[in-house]
Amino acid sequence: MSVTLATVAPQPLGLDFSPMEHSEQAPGSTSDLFVEQALPHADQLYAAAMRLSKNPTDAADLVQETFLKAYQAFHQYEQGTNIRAWLYRILTNTYINLYRKRSTEGFPAALDDMEDWQVGGAESLTQTTKRSAEAEAIDRMPASVVKDALHSLQEEFRMAVYFADVEGLSYQEIAGIMDTPVGTVMSRLYRGRKLLREKLADYAALQGYDTTGTKGGTDHG
Amino acid sequence: MADCGCQHARNNLEDYLHGELPQASCGEIEDHLKACPPCNDEHSVGIALTQKVKSACCESAPEELKTTIVQKIQAGS
Repeated sequence: MSVTLATVAPQPLGLDFSPMEHSEQAPGSTSDLFVEQALPHADQLYAAAMRLSKNPTDAADLVQETFLKAYQAFHQYEQGTNIRAWLYRILTNTYINLYRKRSTEGFPAALDDMEDWQVGGAESLTQTTKRSAEAEAIDRMPASVVKDALHSLQEEFRMAVYFADVEGLSYQEIAGIMDTPVGTVMSRLYRGRKLLREKLADYAALQGYDTTGTKGGTDHG
Repeated sequence: MADCGCQHARNNLEDYLHGELPQASCGEIEDHLKACPPCNDEHSVGIALTQKVKSACCESAPEELKTTIVQKIQAGS
């Protein structure tokens, strides 16, 4: 690239934060490469942003901010590595920075240490006849119900489920995005999925699907 | 034997589902799932959950947003 560094003011920390406005005469450069590599992931980033912010306006702001930050830091991106995981990391950090200021809650982490997920599947070992019905009920569930259930989960559970199940990212990649040890990712994912399954089972029971026995309208949720 | 392999399988189903089990353990789980309908059903629920979440979360970014992003990047702001 023939970037004309001479016209650019001294840059802090080697970050190319501001020179792009000087390079409109060099269209075949960083901005094009960035757009080419990063923009195809806009839909996925937006879907992730919807899980984080839960509304379209904030999601759009978040995605835009993420792309601008990513562009500024693009020289730090190591070509050949998973750019989507890199973008998600920026998305997550941007979200924390933007929204933690608004809310003192931030990412609540108090439940991370709970390890009842380790015995999570055991209690249902005896309910053998109900599970095929449960899978079918989940299958039939409207997307809006699934999204609502997902949105009702605590953020770190929700995002672990999202990154693993929707994005198919590895535990290691998710750990990098969420800046936590792999073991924490695993416990968030297990707990998140368990909670989600319970919420969907509650919904199915309300709708009268036979997944939890014949309790009808009894109050068990 | 008290544990016919179910407990072991249940403990590993999530990792198996997410492609995080070592190859050797996968064979073990797969053998068990073939032989054990209850565990296989449990696995089916796990798969259904993953597929459902995946299909539910597929919003597309608005076109105006993509356009704005490209414009801002090309303008250098």
